[in-house]
Amino acid sequence: MNLEEFFSSKLRMKILKLFFQLGELNVSEVARRLGINYKTTDKHLKTLEEEGILQHKTFGRIRLYRINESSPKAEVLRELIESWESL
Amino acid sequence: MHRYRSVFKDESKLDISYIPYRLPHRNQELRLLKEFFSFILQFPEKMTQRVLITGDVGTGKTVLSQRFGADITREASKRRINLRYVHVNCREYRGSLFLILHHVVSVFHPNFPKRGYSAEELLAILLQVLDEENAYVILTLDEFESLVNREGSEAVYKLTRMQEIRQNEPKRISLICILRNLRVIEKLDASTRSTLQSNIIRLEKYSKQQLIDILNDRVAIAFKPLTVQEETISLIAELAFTEGGNARFGIELLWRAGKYADAEELETVTPECVRKAVSSIIPTLRKDELKFLGFHEKLFLLGIARIFKESQKAYASIAEAEKAYAIVCEEYNVKPHSHTQLWKYLRSFSNYGIVKTEVSNVNAHGRSTLIYLPNVPAEDLEKELTSLLEKRKKRENL
Repeated sequence: MNLEEFFSSKLRMKILKLFFQLGELNVSEVARRLGINYKTTDKHLKTLEEEGILQHKTFGRIRLYRINESSPKAEVLRELIESWESL
Repeated sequence: MHRYRSVFKDESKLDISYIPYRLPHRNQELRLLKEFFSFILQFPEKMTQRVLITGDVGTGKTVLSQRFGADITREASKRRINLRYVHVNCREYRGSLFLILHHVVSVFHPNFPKRGYSAEELLAILLQVLDEENAYVILTLDEFESLVNREGSEAVYKLTRMQEIRQNEPKRISLICILRNLRVIEKLDASTRSTLQSNIIRLEKYSKQQLIDILNDRVAIAFKPLTVQEETISLIAELAFTEGGNARFGIELLWRAGKYADAEELETVTPECVRKAVSSIIPTLRKDELKFLGFHEKLFLLGIARIFKESQKAYASIAEAEKAYAIVCEEYNVKPHSHTQLWKYLRSFSNYGIVKTEVSNVNAHGRSTLIYLPNVPAEDLEKELTSLLEKRKKRENL
């Protein structure tokens, strides 16, 4: 995914901010907190995982997503969001 | 200018959550507990342990277990063993195995969802989490009675047997069960009982001299030098001794007496401060016990307290209690729970010793249950519950 496309989604940015704030969440919880439906949330989470920014672990039927701490993209995004929010 | 002076050096050392380094008159029990769990520092994966700690209120069950937990996790960490000590008050989780297990999983995954699976699945998830992190847990089930009363043998069976059926896999979860009276164990089936009853630590009531030693230890860390008179400690120890050798009561009284001394700008905590403090404490019902009641349990108990406050009666019928509860519900703008649910609440109040129930003789309408409030002044109980409910309201309005 190219840069323009990645930053084009408001929801994706909201999801990222949520993960940097709370650390680890399942799909339903992300959907609940942002007031969006499960399918859309799931799609964004999968995109973020494909980009290597998120990773997930499965516990029974629960999928828990978290920031991939070893991803350079995640690191850059963390810095960007933190600096932006503190301005 | 007025300068605020306090007798306290650090009053947090008198808080119920504080775990002292020294446990006067409980060293032997602490050593025994460490002995039971010594394997965890050598070959943690090979076995698990189950220990029962029993004793009356204020005999040091919780603090003994927490001191042990802090010591053993520190020792394990030195040996690079990923050991967690998790202390759960079962009553706080309404005796639900699911909620208790969820709390344990949350130690590792704080936002783990609360819905969508059963207690068995959650236990399997917990074992998976522990396997992945190569971690071991000593799970302390404080107020174990709540879990047994709600879930019976099943819960203990699941907690102990689930690991045993994982052959050739590391053992992960050990249990410490804290309870006041061993009689509750009789409610469990024979095989579950046998898995629990091998290691029992019984804590005897503290003597007056032992209580003096405990209070002196706390005075040294919580108060400024020479601010607590010897007679004050002796009086508190005497009162705590008559409260069933209850050290927790003594420590709370010590804190309260200090507060009275500060309020009156005294330089020392005198026996008179203790006398004032003791009249402000609900004698046999501790505040923290009320805190753990559910919202509707509090409303129901408030209704009961009001009946006794307003009528000077020795007992009330369940029908009167229900009526009083309905009025309280109206006041708090909530729908009352059903008769069956109130029955359950009444049974748990009776188990906790808050009320006493008795079935009256059969009359024209059948049997009826009578409710007594044996130990607590109704007015104090009402005040305490109202304050807890007000706090809840404020939290909700935030």
